[in-house]
Amino acid sequence: MSVRIKGYAGTPLREEDLKQRKVLLVSYWPKAKYIWSAGIAIGRYLTELKSGRIVGRQCNKCGRIVVPPRMFCEWCFRPNDSWVILKDSGVVNTFSISHITADATRIKEPLIPAVIQIDGTTDAGILHLVGETDPKDVRFGMKVQALWKPPEERTGSVTDIKYFKPIER
Amino acid sequence: MDMVHVEGEMPVNYLYTAGVAGERFLREIKENAKILGIKCRRCNTVHVPPKIYCERCFERLDEWVELTGEGQVEAFTTCHFDHDGSRLAEPDILAAIRLAGANESIVHRIKRAPAEDVHIGMNVKAVFREKKDRVGSILDIDHFKPSAL
Repeated sequence: MSVRIKGYAGTPLREEDLKQRKVLLVSYWPKAKYIWSAGIAIGRYLTELKSGRIVGRQCNKCGRIVVPPRMFCEWCFRPNDSWVILKDSGVVNTFSISHITADATRIKEPLIPAVIQIDGTTDAGILHLVGETDPKDVRFGMKVQALWKPPEERTGSVTDIKYFKPIER
Repeated sequence: MDMVHVEGEMPVNYLYTAGVAGERFLREIKENAKILGIKCRRCNTVHVPPKIYCERCFERLDEWVELTGEGQVEAFTTCHFDHDGSRLAEPDILAAIRLAGANESIVHRIKRAPAEDVHIGMNVKAVFREKKDRVGSILDIDHFKPSAL
């Protein structure tokens, strides 16, 4: 609305009107099912997470280790060469302080999504959460360590790590 | 090594309402087995199904007219297959029917006439379902039959 526009044309309907079928309507729920296969690299990455390990792939030409892994080196345009088991510690590459959840619901205690550069890799990293930290204490370059869920709660997902917590050095 | 995969379903439910004019049109079919059109005061076009503005001259429409439910076949097609490609036991004859008194055609089904007999210009008449079976849908008109029957 604005100073000149006092209302919009149309016939407003409330959710209740629709639910109670006060107006004639057609309802359709198409089955939009999907199966997404993870691929070789992410497939192994997720399987290793279930066992409590973070793995990357190494390119012998440039020496880079990438995580999350992919089967090719995008710098050298060649397939990379080997799996590397990495430590589960790293540094905060970048972070954000979020006062809403993924579906935009307001939350009281903010979430701190961050890109964690895993020790032994040279760039980027994995997207996760920083926990057990006051938002105002998070810093670029802050040293962190993964806190894993107990083995029986792991499902083969990046959420098998609960969050990364700061390490005192 | 097992292939890891993720299964999901995207919730894409939708509700589609009839609109202001559509609501009245369908309710009149449901309650009274009557087909309504709407007439434009400016260009005299009778629209069916009714709308709230004239598509030809953008005039607001409010002059509802009752149509007899009789009309002529303007175009038709005979379907031998279902939506999923399976053969129909009996062919389905769909037609664009210009109702008497209207300037636009509605699409509906013709029954009680063999496909070979259906022709452009054929006189047909609406046959409604029993009131208890009418729900406020265009299918509350069950079909159009030859006027002679």
